[in-house]
Amino acid sequence: MSQARRGRVLDWLDERYGLRPLLDFLKHKEVPRGGHSLVWYYLGGTTLFFFTVQIFSGVLLLMYYQPGEATSYESIRYLTTKVPFGWLIRSVHCWSAHLMIVSLVAHMFSTLMLKAYRPPRELTWVSGFLLFAVALGFGFSGYLLPWNELAFFATSVGTDSVKGVPLIGQWLLEVMRGGQDVSINTLYRFFALHVVVLPLSAIAIIGLHLLFIQRQGMAPPMVHQRHATARQGLKFFPDFFLRDLLLWLLCLTALVTLVFLMPYGPRIPGIDWELGKKANPLAPAYPGIKPEWYFLWIYQLLKEFPPHLFGLEGPQVALALVTVLLLTWAVVPWLDRRAAREQPSPAFNDLGVAALLFIGFLTLKAWDIGGLRPGQAGLPDAAASARACAFIALGAGAAVTLLRFVLARHRWFVLSGAALLQVTLHGLAGVGYLAAGAISVALAAVAVAVLRRRTPREAAAP
Amino acid sequence: MTALPWLLLLLAADPADGGTASPRKLPEYLEELFQEKGDDGQPVLSAQDRAKLEALPEHTVQLIAEKMDKLTVSGAPHLKRLLTLDLSPQLAELVFQDNCIVCHTDAEAQKKQDLFSPDPKADGSPAHLSLKEVVSDVHFRKGLSCSGCHGGSPDAPRMTADIAARWPKKEDRKQGRAWVVDFCGRCHGDPSFMRGFNPGLPTDQVAKFKESQHGLLLLQKGDPKAAQCVSCHGVHGILRASSPRSTVNAARVPETCGHCHADAQYMAGYTRADGTPLPTDQLERFKASVHGKALLEKGDTGAPACNDCHGNHAAQPPQVASVAQVCRTCHAQNGALFDGSKHKMAFEKHGWPECGQCHGHHDIQEPTDALVSDAPDGLCGSCHKEHAADHPECNQGAAYFRATIGQLAESHHAFEPRIERFAELGLDVEPILASAAELEEGLIQSRARIHAFDRGGFDLAAAPARAAVQKTEGLLAAAEQERRFRRNGLLGAIGAGGLLALALWLKIRQLDRRRRGGDS
Repeated sequence: MSQARRGRVLDWLDERYGLRPLLDFLKHKEVPRGGHSLVWYYLGGTTLFFFTVQIFSGVLLLMYYQPGEATSYESIRYLTTKVPFGWLIRSVHCWSAHLMIVSLVAHMFSTLMLKAYRPPRELTWVSGFLLFAVALGFGFSGYLLPWNELAFFATSVGTDSVKGVPLIGQWLLEVMRGGQDVSINTLYRFFALHVVVLPLSAIAIIGLHLLFIQRQGMAPPMVHQRHATARQGLKFFPDFFLRDLLLWLLCLTALVTLVFLMPYGPRIPGIDWELGKKANPLAPAYPGIKPEWYFLWIYQLLKEFPPHLFGLEGPQVALALVTVLLLTWAVVPWLDRRAAREQPSPAFNDLGVAALLFIGFLTLKAWDIGGLRPGQAGLPDAAASARACAFIALGAGAAVTLLRFVLARHRWFVLSGAALLQVTLHGLAGVGYLAAGAISVALAAVAVAVLRRRTPREAAAP
Repeated sequence: MTALPWLLLLLAADPADGGTASPRKLPEYLEELFQEKGDDGQPVLSAQDRAKLEALPEHTVQLIAEKMDKLTVSGAPHLKRLLTLDLSPQLAELVFQDNCIVCHTDAEAQKKQDLFSPDPKADGSPAHLSLKEVVSDVHFRKGLSCSGCHGGSPDAPRMTADIAARWPKKEDRKQGRAWVVDFCGRCHGDPSFMRGFNPGLPTDQVAKFKESQHGLLLLQKGDPKAAQCVSCHGVHGILRASSPRSTVNAARVPETCGHCHADAQYMAGYTRADGTPLPTDQLERFKASVHGKALLEKGDTGAPACNDCHGNHAAQPPQVASVAQVCRTCHAQNGALFDGSKHKMAFEKHGWPECGQCHGHHDIQEPTDALVSDAPDGLCGSCHKEHAADHPECNQGAAYFRATIGQLAESHHAFEPRIERFAELGLDVEPILASAAELEEGLIQSRARIHAFDRGGFDLAAAPARAAVQKTEGLLAAAEQERRFRRNGLLGAIGAGGLLALALWLKIRQLDRRRRGGDS
């Protein structure tokens, strides 16, 4: 299309829909540059890319999937064994789901580290947090849909933890399951959630998230991180957009390669979607059933709690703790008052590292790493597993701390130190997980109080 | 705070709270027992004992009270001993109706050699006076108690002369155990009597026993060491053979027979028909055999124990002619194939024990393909060398069988990792697995067909297996084609994506250069 003709088409459209302001906006849209790598700005885009793959592959799956006691498993089986490229569609959907969560978590942590949530972008963070919750909901509801043995029992265990919610726990459990136990009614509910409620919610919240970003622009680097000779921003169209496209292309290539090499996933508990046997509600649950990898830390935390604590049921306390931690995470923009004043807030950098160490250690433990010797059958050795996981966590923690100290010149390590202390006390000294946690939190609180007292008040001035 | 007393009141009034229900009133004699104190000053009967009594039906409690009244139950320690048995209401009724049991459990009144005890070892009474065994005995549970064998009446309050009437005299009993056979046989050999208790139970045991090796030794040669009824079934704790605790349960038969037959000292002096000493390693060899492992390790009670080949009441060493029939009771198809084979007549001519000649007897192992061998020292070859030297086709047949099943087994073995690999790659391996299962079935049939020692019949059996090999190969080739198609698709996608990525990268570089040019 020649330049002149394209101009005429645009004019025609502009007359009717007033497109010029939008085009002008896009023309002038820029990505802030300087201070830190541009890489962190792409992660939202890759998450969106994987979400788009989910929508497309999900629609294709829907063309064959028939929810029902006698059809759910059978239709997935038919799809993966008889339908041309059916295996590809299911595998793409599963792999892309996991990669989307990886990308989303990386995006969330990079936002935390760069303090991109600071005013006026608090609600962008909150909408992102809601998208994280929706993504977990997608994972949980989609897991049951093939109606196979593993999904059935994992959903039974997963929904059972809802009982811990005070007062309405039992009611909530029955609402989720559509009855006392997991049955085909649960599948109908999860199906409706997975293909209607959650996609609509996700699209609405993504719309809001993107609207916030367009209205406010991408968060610029913090003042202290900006280069003195900062260049002007990178043009979004076409410069940044082309880079986005290039990365999406690489993501797509990685996705299809993984799909070809490991169509059922890497066969690690929580990242495995082999169809296996059809669900049989009357069959006994077998040991070693684990949820998806992103729920493993909650699963392990529930296991670390005794049956009763402080006069309450252990799982109730564990769920209360998870709720408090997640809610704290959701309101980080309001807690980080230093970042709001464009001042460095090392405590929140350290919070991110501590969270990764906390979640990472629990996840490793949930995999029983080091708990089973090769070829050993039976129950894993919890103490040996805790020791092995502690060594891994301490190694990773030490490496990250060193990198932060040397490269990023971080000097505030109280929270990550507390996380590593808990790992050491529990894994190496044999202290109970909760006791080790309590000691570490208490010491961290003392350290924070001492540091606050020593820090001159003027440092906090704007 | 004002609600608290009300709440406490409500909780206290809750009938589900438990612990406040009033105890059941026991008969006066029994209530008195609960006041009785031991040497330590504590009540002999505990709250648990009361609970046990209260769980019994009213008429059983009345029965116990009557026994107290008549001093058959002498006091709290006596009652406590009986309550330690944790009897069901039905068994409690049987026990307390029987004066023999009630009296002979009173530690204060009985000598140790006559005292039935819940724990004979602790009380120093003989092992066969175990009260726990008595109450689990099949005869006792059917209502046949002490007096059934020993004489007298369970209602009699004291020992009477007729109690010894039915029981052999002491000097007769000292002679040996030969009397036991007819003593048990009085009931167990009487169909009309046994019909009243267990109509399905055979009544020919005594007749069979008299024909058995044990019976011949005991009854004709007067050998006191030969087994009789109680040697295998026990005395006071006889259980149904279906009970896993029974000494004659299938899984425990080898141990029961081995009690004597694996004891070299006990078996010293016993010989086979040819005069050679009777071996005592049968139990060890059986335990290591395919049958022993199935029965004793896997718990498969369908696997044969000693009695399945030797008989039980009519136990005899199987003769050459009968041993093959014994094997055929389970391995019927192989037996039928052998019966139609050339080997049948040859084995009969030499007096060889058909199955046992190749497979052995007590230590039979799971047969492997290596068993079929035409090598001069192989199973087939060594025999053919001596007895079929002028029939080369015999050895050729063995070689053919071995080569064929070897090829089929090798194919099956080679398919497994290939199928596994395709399954890992997410290909649909179900049709391939079904075809491999057909091959496995064909292989089993071919191996069995060797027992007919006939190439024509063997080829018929091997044909489906050969067809399954072809089919599986075809399916695997198709799967390989599909794998290549997928791989090429991936490479194509990567190539196309790479080209597009390269174009994008060049475009980005061009833009960057243009921007830098503009900046400068």
